[in-house]
Amino acid sequence: MNIEVGVVIAATGMDVYDPTEYDEYGYTRFDNVITSMEFERLICAGGPTEGHFIRPSDRKIPQKIGFIQCVGSRSQDGRGNPYCSNICCMNTVKDTLLLCDHYPGVQASVFYMDMRAFGKGFEDLYMRSKEEGVKYVRGIPGDVVEDPETGNLILTVENTTTGKLEKHELEMLVLSQGVIPRQDGDTVRKLLTLSTTSDGFVMESHPKLKPVDAPTKGVFIAGCVESPKDVKDSVTQASAAAARASILLNAGKTKIEAITSQVDTELCNFCGICAKVCPYNAIGAPDRKAEKPPMIIQAACAGCGACAAECPQDAIQMRHFRDEQIMAQVEAIVKDDPEKHLLTFACNWCSYAGGDNAGTARLQYPTSSRLVRTMCSGRVDEKFVMHAFKLGAPMVLVSGCHFADCHYINAVHWTQKRMDRLWNKLDKLGIRVDRLQLEWISAAEGQKFAKVMRELEERVQAVTDEEIEFTKKVLAEEEEKAKKKKKPKAKAEVSV
Amino acid sequence: MVAKQVQFRCLMCGHEYSGMYDHDNVTERSCPKCRSNSVRRLPDAKAAKK
Ligand SMILES: [Zn+2]
Repeated sequence: MNIEVGVVIAATGMDVYDPTEYDEYGYTRFDNVITSMEFERLICAGGPTEGHFIRPSDRKIPQKIGFIQCVGSRSQDGRGNPYCSNICCMNTVKDTLLLCDHYPGVQASVFYMDMRAFGKGFEDLYMRSKEEGVKYVRGIPGDVVEDPETGNLILTVENTTTGKLEKHELEMLVLSQGVIPRQDGDTVRKLLTLSTTSDGFVMESHPKLKPVDAPTKGVFIAGCVESPKDVKDSVTQASAAAARASILLNAGKTKIEAITSQVDTELCNFCGICAKVCPYNAIGAPDRKAEKPPMIIQAACAGCGACAAECPQDAIQMRHFRDEQIMAQVEAIVKDDPEKHLLTFACNWCSYAGGDNAGTARLQYPTSSRLVRTMCSGRVDEKFVMHAFKLGAPMVLVSGCHFADCHYINAVHWTQKRMDRLWNKLDKLGIRVDRLQLEWISAAEGQKFAKVMRELEERVQAVTDEEIEFTKKVLAEEEEKAKKKKKPKAKAEVSV
Repeated sequence: MVAKQVQFRCLMCGHEYSGMYDHDNVTERSCPKCRSNSVRRLPDAKAAKK
């Protein structure tokens, strides 16, 4: 089936965590241990028991019910997930109120590490639940055993408020399971070139300024596909996504980036690396046999420049960030007293903004650093770094966004790989590798920016004149060798 | 490519440690000792020698 659309909103939702691996809670071993999702089905009028809350082992209405929070969430022991699932605390509060409302006299206990009740009206709800007599015990149970005669569950917990070990006999236990990314979401993610954060949820274009835009233009995200969230937040996000989408649809035309890449077909040798590198799939692969160069889809190119930096033939240039423009900046920086300056490549969105942050926060750091701004650290070509060293730079710092903040999906991955290559190259040439440094600095990390500048200033001063001279000599020789190798292609290089 | 065990060296403090590396899915590196991101993946031959 083919449907032509102008924009796509991905709202594919989430899955819930299966708590079987928490064997100490006895889920799947004991009938009366259920998950919060199963609780929803039991208490729902349209559910299998028509809303009668009965326990599975004997179909009696339980009088003592326990809830264990954070099952599979905020976990550091390798099981479950390290993040907070956001909705479980308030879901449990709501469940306890439902129980108290449907079955007055029922005794509900909640075992928790922290109750997170932020959000409009949530603290009130939590207080109401306490007023209804729900017992909140601060402590996550270590062990649950079943009394085979009664089917009741005996739970051992250290109450961290009193510091005492407690045993609780319950007739039913509800595991407040966490939320996980949708397990069959790969197809949609690949189709829309969506990338994910380390927790597996889809990454937004910018966490603060573009929270419903996917990095791929024309794609928007809403709901739990992006992160665990409740109904209200999902609706808010969906409304925002719909509004953002309608801007594009109503405009009927779209503005494309001014900073995009372009291929010099004369220089291209059809290797196809650019197409592999592009985080946006904006480059149609070349065809060596047909001598067809790569085709850059200008509307899809976001301008990270990773293709230009990775192209071994230098056949790709970024508009406004051309090789010669950046090289000229490097040359200008090292023109006077190169041995005194730290040459820093800083990405536009994070590190450069981190420098601004340090400035506006009036943090003190040495003035010897000279910044070259690129849109992404992925644009920093090996030859920019080598050129700086060749001209006498004592230290070079490449700085970019943290992986989770990368403005260009995953272009920073290429920065990391390139840095490994550069360090290996320096090592081979006998140049001290720690003269090339790498730091991920976000726009909010002015403190880190200042700290890095201070630390590297000391290192700049420790680089000796002999080292610099040796580096210049070695790299000049290398350049000569490379020139000799490239000579037969000289004719093609003229036409940039 | 699957993840493999490699040796890392922090270029800020010199701390060396081993960790997993997947060429198709590189992750952010941060020195466990000094938090610097200047963490070099040592070439395989060098790592093997250690
Ligand atoms: Zn370190």
